[in-house]
Amino acid sequence: MNTEAVSIFSNDEKEILQEIMNIAFGNATANLADVIDIYVVLSVPDIQVINIGDLPEFINNAIDANGKTVIVDQKFRGDFNGSGFLVFPQKTSDDLESIFDDENNDSYGNNTGAAREKGVLIEIGNILISACVGKVSELLNTFVTYSPPQILSGDSNDENSWLNNFGPNQAAIAMQTVFKFHKQDLKGFLLILTNQESIGWLRKSLNDFMNSYE
Amino acid sequence: MIKNILVVDDSPVARKMLVNCIPKDRGYEIHLADNGQDGVEKFQELKPDVTFMDLTMPVLDGYKATEKIMGLDKKAIVIVTTADVQPKSISTVMELGAFTLVKKPAKAETIEEALAKAEQKISQG
Repeated sequence: MNTEAVSIFSNDEKEILQEIMNIAFGNATANLADVIDIYVVLSVPDIQVINIGDLPEFINNAIDANGKTVIVDQKFRGDFNGSGFLVFPQKTSDDLESIFDDENNDSYGNNTGAAREKGVLIEIGNILISACVGKVSELLNTFVTYSPPQILSGDSNDENSWLNNFGPNQAAIAMQTVFKFHKQDLKGFLLILTNQESIGWLRKSLNDFMNSYE
Repeated sequence: MIKNILVVDDSPVARKMLVNCIPKDRGYEIHLADNGQDGVEKFQELKPDVTFMDLTMPVLDGYKATEKIMGLDKKAIVIVTTADVQPKSISTVMELGAFTLVKKPAKAETIEEALAKAEQKISQG
């Protein structure tokens, strides 16, 4: 982990951010539970600030993806500016599709195969990313607008191509959570990537948020 | 009458937010625990009138800690404070005997409301 990136936040700021992300992800999973019968076991949030260049190894180590991942990307703009990424191993995305299909048989009509899988993943990504980012924005007294979510290529040949959209020195705020349903443990990552400009705003807003409790 | 309050949360930020929402003019004695196991031990030691309990914690989570506390004292008042507001999480913790649930982030009015309900229960014996 890059020392410069780690020092972006003080320990106090990291703890505030950790609690805010905990609240935001709790909100996001409750929204997902409204749509499908999925129960997400929330792990103690682990916030890490890492450089973009270190992300591929970090993700692979954390979710044991074996090189095959599916990534849903949704950009957000405002004072809090960046991209949300939901990263799953391919196996997890297949299982999520089957769960979603069980709950929403009528929604996809005659769509089959790749179109249906894409639709399911985009819907899950949209719910989790927008609910999480939206709650962070609400708690920090701002608002964001979103681009439509999209699926990025995740095959082993160009699994890291999505990182080319970011500068090598950009920081990523990474949070890991465990998805559990039907007695299976399935791992996925929610990553919030922000640019340097947003991190300045974020630091000030984190301190303002905590000061409101003084 | 509430005299002792125990706050169980692994996040120092969440503990601070909650403590700052508890009315300061009532002379409550507030104790802190930083995980479920610590919370159960402090519950046994201090016998608090009200315990605020987070759910997602290391060592021992809030579900198991609530279950243990209710096993120690079936009249214990455990107020769950959590960001995890999935229907199944809420129903599970209420079935374990939690008194009520307060959604994070803590707000002064909701904490005061929960304490008023707890006070009412205590006065009714």
